[in-house]
Amino acid sequence: MKVNEATWDRIARIALGVFVLYLGWANVVTGGWGLALKIVGFLPLLTGLVGWCPTYALLKVSTKK
Amino acid sequence: MTETEFIDRLRNNPRPMVVDVWAAWCLPCRAIEPSLQQLAREFDGRVELLKVNADEQPDLVRAFGVRGIPTLIGFNNGTEVSRQTGARPLSELRALFETALTGRPPAPRRGLLPMERTMRSLAGLALLLAGWLAGPSIPLLGLGGIVLFSAIYDRCPVWQALAPRLSAAFRREGTR
Repeated sequence: MKVNEATWDRIARIALGVFVLYLGWANVVTGGWGLALKIVGFLPLLTGLVGWCPTYALLKVSTKK
Repeated sequence: MTETEFIDRLRNNPRPMVVDVWAAWCLPCRAIEPSLQQLAREFDGRVELLKVNADEQPDLVRAFGVRGIPTLIGFNNGTEVSRQTGARPLSELRALFETALTGRPPAPRRGLLPMERTMRSLAGLALLLAGWLAGPSIPLLGLGGIVLFSAIYDRCPVWQALAPRLSAAFRREGTR
């Protein structure tokens, strides 16, 4: 699995993931949206930590030079 | 120094040596010169750096089988152990010096890169903070702990002791 995200991309994803997870798990957003945020937040966090985005791979794009 | 003298000095020198085949007109040679000087200081007393001017000593160039310059050849106990041609970054030049010193290529780098380690550490700490502020939230704190551990697992003595046993156990399970 080759890294296809630049460092800035990974940092942005991790920050977004942590923020979205916080909104969900801290019950800042409640109800259905809150539940969605609790799950969806893992996606940017995981792709940021791993450095590989499946969507980029499918579209054959990369932010890493 | 004649070709024979040089080869004799090389073969009879127990000290590790790096031979740098260069030329005054060669731009890559000039590009790596500061790195070579830095490494010569770093390995002072342990690895000897010998310069061979390709224009002045074509016999030596032929004797070493040099096909391009700059060429760096590492010798240990008079035997060639490593060779690099062309301008290389400092890390690769250092690897050549290390190979000349030990007679073996340096062990492949293991573990995380500093950038990767920093990123995982910060992500883990951010998750722990978010988990703490969110109640505390056990799932976020747990996730933060896992991410933080992933930043240091390769330096953890407990993990180093357990990992080979775990992978052996999984292999045995897989072959059943």
